[in-house]
Amino acid sequence: MEVILNVINFILNNSSRILEYTINHFSLVFTVLGFSLVLWITVGLLISKYDRYAGSVIGLANIIFVIPSISLFGIFVTIPQLGLGRKSAALALILYAMMPLVRNVYRGVKSVDQSVLESGRGMGMSDTEILFQIQIPMAWPVVFAGIRVTAVMITGMATVATFIGERNLGRLIHHGITRGNEDIIIAGAVVVSLIALMLDFILGKVEKKLTSPGLRQSG
Amino acid sequence: MVKIIKGAVHDMIRLEKVYKTFPNTTVPAVDKISFTIEKGNICVFVGPSGCGKTTILRMINRLVEPTGGSIYIDGENIMETDADQLRRRIGYVIQQIGLLPHRTIGQNVGLVPRLLKWPEDRINKRVMELLEIVGLDPRETARKYPYQLSGGQMQRAGVARALAVDPPIMLMDEPFGAVDPIVRGHLQDEFLRLQQEVKKTICFVTHDINEALKMGDYIVVLNAGKLVQKGTPLEMLSDPANDFVKDLIGDDRGVKLLDLTRAESLLQASTSETDKAVRECSCYIDAVQPVKMALEVMMKNNSDVVGIRRGSEVVGTLSWTEIKQHINKISGDQ
Repeated sequence: MEVILNVINFILNNSSRILEYTINHFSLVFTVLGFSLVLWITVGLLISKYDRYAGSVIGLANIIFVIPSISLFGIFVTIPQLGLGRKSAALALILYAMMPLVRNVYRGVKSVDQSVLESGRGMGMSDTEILFQIQIPMAWPVVFAGIRVTAVMITGMATVATFIGERNLGRLIHHGITRGNEDIIIAGAVVVSLIALMLDFILGKVEKKLTSPGLRQSG
Repeated sequence: MVKIIKGAVHDMIRLEKVYKTFPNTTVPAVDKISFTIEKGNICVFVGPSGCGKTTILRMINRLVEPTGGSIYIDGENIMETDADQLRRRIGYVIQQIGLLPHRTIGQNVGLVPRLLKWPEDRINKRVMELLEIVGLDPRETARKYPYQLSGGQMQRAGVARALAVDPPIMLMDEPFGAVDPIVRGHLQDEFLRLQQEVKKTICFVTHDINEALKMGDYIVVLNAGKLVQKGTPLEMLSDPANDFVKDLIGDDRGVKLLDLTRAESLLQASTSETDKAVRECSCYIDAVQPVKMALEVMMKNNSDVVGIRRGSEVVGTLSWTEIKQHINKISGDQ
């Protein structure tokens, strides 16, 4: 009980600082999401068309994904064009987003029933029409699952970017650790979790709006 | 044999020495097959799996490209046309139907008109009309999604979609294969009735000889990529080309003949005598019903003759003597 009160007190007493961190956190997450969606959905669609590259591209995404984030941030900082701060942080996070996005787009497009494609082609739909009118709408639920995972994951990982100069909610947690103050650690963690939950909730609503009711039935 | 007189006969689909070898195989899937299908006829390709029937069908709308030979539709070599444009002019129905699950039935049926950029109100009108034609409630069904329909309803929607832009040709690959036998029977009957009105040139693939005999104006029997026999169902039953065809048909050829020959194929012009007999017992059957039905009606009404109707018009009669002669002819050479 006391911990909760302390955390609330801390948040209230430091509201302007926390607000600044939150805004920075958000802006990093949105930048990364924006670039990642355009880039990785395109790559996902390309490898589902040019199947022979699918294995190596997804393999690469997996390899990147298992690199510990702190070391990837560290490596980018040493590259002069990137350096400390936003560029390195964003680039590393965009690379982490590759795996959940590319894989889900590929899986989604590939899971479209062969008979539906066959009948589309048989009715005279061109490749582009099949892609935009059949494959993408039908892959949408799987793609969106990937987008939600990515959003939540990026929100959490962004905290680590505090070590390379990002002034975001990770800094709060970092301060808490260095000062041995669990109230600050919990405050930081709670705010980050709330952001992640909120993003997931909003994306869930968007998904529902954008998914055809014909695909929503489960059995 | 009395054949219904059609308008000027012309070849709608012509295959010339069509040949297909799939990559990494040595045996051709389709081996130098030639035949023609006249306008307004249903031609059924029948044979065991792997006989090449589906491949032939898919070559007609270029889902499969022939290795050799040529295919003409209405005199035009299909390899010289744009594949997508060609397919939009050919109705295509497959066993799995392939309705787009994320689109309503209305949108599914209106798919090809929309590809052809028809104005929206014309599409809507056409969709309603088509759903009505295939026996679905237009208002109810147009808004539904495929998962909300039964197997039979989906098949109807599939047929409606294939008919959307009124293509002169329909390709149907085991269209009624996925529904239970009762529904299948209904769909077959309705489809034959519909065909009387729309008069499409239809290629129909099945592995079920009974369905082939029932649906076909012509049957093409295939085995291992080769054409074994082409003929009317009647020719098939009364004069099978070899043991393969005989086996395919089964041992009950005589009965099948009665069960599966449409009444119209034994149709006789009515004389004043038969006309009177028919009117007395007022027993009629529809032209597309099997001869077996004629027997049934005869037995029920204790009559030797039934009238044959096409729509509401009486087009001829069918008598017991005629049927008996027919059975004798068949069993004579068995």
